[in-house]
Amino acid sequence: MRFTVFRGTKVYGTLCPVYLFFVVIAFFFFLFTACPSPAADDGYLNALLESAKEKRLSEDRYWEALVHYKRHGSGKKSLIDDPKFFLAPDGKLNPAAELEATIRAFFREEKKDEEHPRCRFVARYAWLKEKLDIDELRLPPVACTEFNEALARVNPHSAVLVFPTTLNNSPASMFGHTLIRIDSENQNDLLSYAVTYAAVTTDSNGFLYAFKGIFGYYRGYFSILPYYEKVSEYSNIEHRDIWEYQLNLTEEEVRRLVMHVWEVRDIYADYYFFDENCSFDLLLLLEVARPSLRLTDAFWDNKVRFWVIPVDTIRVIKESGLITKEKYRPSQATRILAIASRMDSGSQKVALDVVDKKTSPQAVTEMEITPEEKTKILDLTAELLQYKYARKQMGKEDYLKQFLPTLNARSTLGKQSADAYDITPPLPPEQGHLPGKLSLGAGYRTDSFFTEMGWRAAYHDLLDPDEGYTEGAQINFFDISGRYYYKEDALKLQRLRLIDIVSLSPRDAFFKPVSWKVNTGFDRELFSDGEEHLIYRINPGGGFSYKNDLLGLSYIMVETDLELSGGLKDNYSLGVGASAGIIKKLTDSWKINLSVKSIYYEAGDEHRSMNASLAQNFKITTNNSITFSLSREKSYDYYQSEVNLSWDIYF
Amino acid sequence: MKKLLAVTVLSALFVFVVSSAFAAGASGQAKQNTGCGLGTMLFQNNADQSSLLQAFQATTNGSFGAQTFGISSGTSECKQPTKFVSNERLNEFVVANMDNLAKDIAMGRGETLDAFADLMQVPYEKRPEFYQKLQSSFAKIFTSEDVVLANVVDNVAAVSSSN
Repeated sequence: MRFTVFRGTKVYGTLCPVYLFFVVIAFFFFLFTACPSPAADDGYLNALLESAKEKRLSEDRYWEALVHYKRHGSGKKSLIDDPKFFLAPDGKLNPAAELEATIRAFFREEKKDEEHPRCRFVARYAWLKEKLDIDELRLPPVACTEFNEALARVNPHSAVLVFPTTLNNSPASMFGHTLIRIDSENQNDLLSYAVTYAAVTTDSNGFLYAFKGIFGYYRGYFSILPYYEKVSEYSNIEHRDIWEYQLNLTEEEVRRLVMHVWEVRDIYADYYFFDENCSFDLLLLLEVARPSLRLTDAFWDNKVRFWVIPVDTIRVIKESGLITKEKYRPSQATRILAIASRMDSGSQKVALDVVDKKTSPQAVTEMEITPEEKTKILDLTAELLQYKYARKQMGKEDYLKQFLPTLNARSTLGKQSADAYDITPPLPPEQGHLPGKLSLGAGYRTDSFFTEMGWRAAYHDLLDPDEGYTEGAQINFFDISGRYYYKEDALKLQRLRLIDIVSLSPRDAFFKPVSWKVNTGFDRELFSDGEEHLIYRINPGGGFSYKNDLLGLSYIMVETDLELSGGLKDNYSLGVGASAGIIKKLTDSWKINLSVKSIYYEAGDEHRSMNASLAQNFKITTNNSITFSLSREKSYDYYQSEVNLSWDIYF
Repeated sequence: MKKLLAVTVLSALFVFVVSSAFAAGASGQAKQNTGCGLGTMLFQNNADQSSLLQAFQATTNGSFGAQTFGISSGTSECKQPTKFVSNERLNEFVVANMDNLAKDIAMGRGETLDAFADLMQVPYEKRPEFYQKLQSSFAKIFTSEDVVLANVVDNVAAVSSSN
C-alpha cells in the first residue's frame, strides 16, 4: 500500500537511483513524484538492465521491428509519430533508451492493469521475458484481461494477405489496398478478423483529401475488424473483386503479429499516401511476425522510388516466399455478370422485370420453363435487388417487399450444383506488368525522323496489357517523354503528363455507370504559325462506354480542353468537343486502340482541331511490349501525320 | 465576358468531374438503417478508400477493444433471441449478415450459411441436412420483412430441432 499515492502517475523513463533505506526512498518519492518504480526489487531491475545490455538487445532485429525503427543517418528513427508509443522521452530516436525504459516500465504499478506497460506492450514484454528469462513473480502482479479476451476471440492460427482490387470508377480506390486476415483453425473465412492500416479522416472534399494525404496531414491507425465487414464493404457495396493470398506464417508468428497489433492499436503514425501508406505499414507487421524478413527495405532503405503501390508489396511478399497459394473472391457485380452469362437475354429480361416489379417472383415459379432456368432467374433477381439497394437505387421498403418474396420463391426450387456459376479467376494482380514504364522509340512526324524516350512513374495505360489490371481503367502518373528531331537537330520535351486518368466502365442491361477522363500536364500542339509549341493542358470529359464481342470496349465522350501558353492569342485556348474510340484485344497478345477526337476552340485562340489515331500493342513478355501507332491530325489549317514504333519496358 | 464565361464553365466542369469522382469513393460515413432486421446496410459508404482516402469507420478512434472486437455494440439495440442468448458472436454475425444469410438459406448453400453453421456449431456431416431443412423452411424462418435478429435465430433453432 505504500505506493498508492503514485499510482496512475505517468512518467516515462525517469532515472531511479537505488536507495538503501525505505525512509529515504519515501522521502524522495514525495519530492519527485516522477519516479514510478516500486523500488522493492531494484536489484532485480538492474540485473535485467545489465543482462539486456550484455545481450545487446537494443540492437536486435526484433526490437527494431517492434518499435518500427528504420535507418536514419548514422542512427535509427522510428516511423511511429505518436509519443504514447514510446516509454523513453527520446525513444523515437534512441532504441537503447527505449529498451531500458521498457524494462523499467515492467516494474511500474498502475491503477488499472489494462494500462500497465506489460498489458499495453504485450509483444515487447513477451520477447523480453523470453530473452531475459524474466521471473514474473518478481514483478508487480498484473492481469491483462482485455488483451487475453481479444486474443481468445481472434484465436490466431494462420494469416492471409488480402488485396481488394481497384474500383474501376473511383480514383480514390486507385492502386487498391491491402490488409491482413488472421484465421483461426477450422473456421469459415468470414469469421476471421482483418487487420488494416488506414488514415483517419473526416474530410469529404476530394482535393483536401489528396493534399493532406500526400503531405502527411492525416494520422494512420491500425485497426482490426471482422472480415465479413470488409467483404461486405468491398464485395457487396463497392463491387471490388478480392484476392486472398495464404501466407506460410507459423502459428507463433501470427500470434506475434496480433500481439503487436494490440500494441499499436491506438497509436498513430503520420500517413503518407505515397510511401508510409496502408500497404507499407502492413509490411512492418509481417516483419514483426518474422523478423528475418526484410520486406520494407525495398521501399525505404534501398528505395529507388518514393511511392509504394499495394501490388508491389504483394510482389515483394511473394518474392520473400511467404505466399503459398492465392484465392479469388469475386465481387457481387462479377457474380451478377457470371449468372447472367449463363442465361439467354429472355431470361435476363424476366429477372429485370421482377426487379422492376413488372413480374412477381411467384409468377416465375409458375412459368413454363425448366426448374434450372427458374433458379437462375431468381438467383439473378436476388443479387440484382441487393445490388440496387446497396447502390441506393432502391429504397429499403421496395427492396424488402421484393427481396423476401424472391427468396421465398427461390427456396422452393432446391439447390444449384456447386459449380453452377463458377467464375474463372483472372490473372492475379501481381502477375501483371510492373507499374513503371520506359519507352524507347523512333518515328517520323510530318517531315522529320525522330527518336523518343519516355518514362512513366506508374501505373497502367489503356494500351498496356490488361492482365492483372482492370480493363478500361487507365491511371498514368507522371508520364514524361522527350524527342530528338533529326532534321532540326533539336531535342524537345514532347509531353509531361502529371496525371492522366481514363475510366471506361461499360454499360449493360444491369449496370449503368458513367465513363470519364481527366488529364493535365504539358503537351506539344500545333499553333497558328504552323509550328508545334509546348502548352499546359487541362482536359476533362465524360460519356458512356459499351462492350461487345465484335468491337471490344467502345466509348464516346464529351470533353472540354483548356490550353495555356504564352504563344496562344490571349495566352489560352478553350474548346469543347467529342471523342470516341474502340479498344479491342485481337489476340492474347495484340491489342488495338482506334480513336478519333474533334475539339472546337471557341474562346481565346479560336481554332479547330481534329485527330485520328490507331495504336497497337504487342505483348512480348509480361514486362516487354512493342507499341506501334499511326496518327493524323488537323489543327488550324495544318496537317500532321506521325508514325511511331517503340519498345516498352515495364519496371 | 464570353471568355470569362467559358473559363468559368470549364473550371466548373473540371471541378465537378474530379470532385465527383473522388466523392464516389469518399462520401463519408453515414450509416444507414442500422438495426437488426433485413435491409440493414451496416457498411454503406464506409468502404475504405484505399491508399488515399481510406478508413473512416472503426478506425476513427483506432480502438482495438470497444469498437472492433466490441461485438456488443452492434446488437445492443436488438432484442436478443431466447435460445442462443449466450452466443453474442452469432447474434452479431446474423445482424450484420442477415440479407446474405437469407439469400444463402433460400439458395441452399453459400459462404454466409457456412459461417452461420460454424457459429451454430453444426457438425460438418450434418450440414447438408441442416441446409436442406432451412431451405425448405425458409418461410418459417424469415416470416416477414420486419423479421429481426431474435426471430431469425429462434426460428432457425425451432426449425432445426423439429423433425
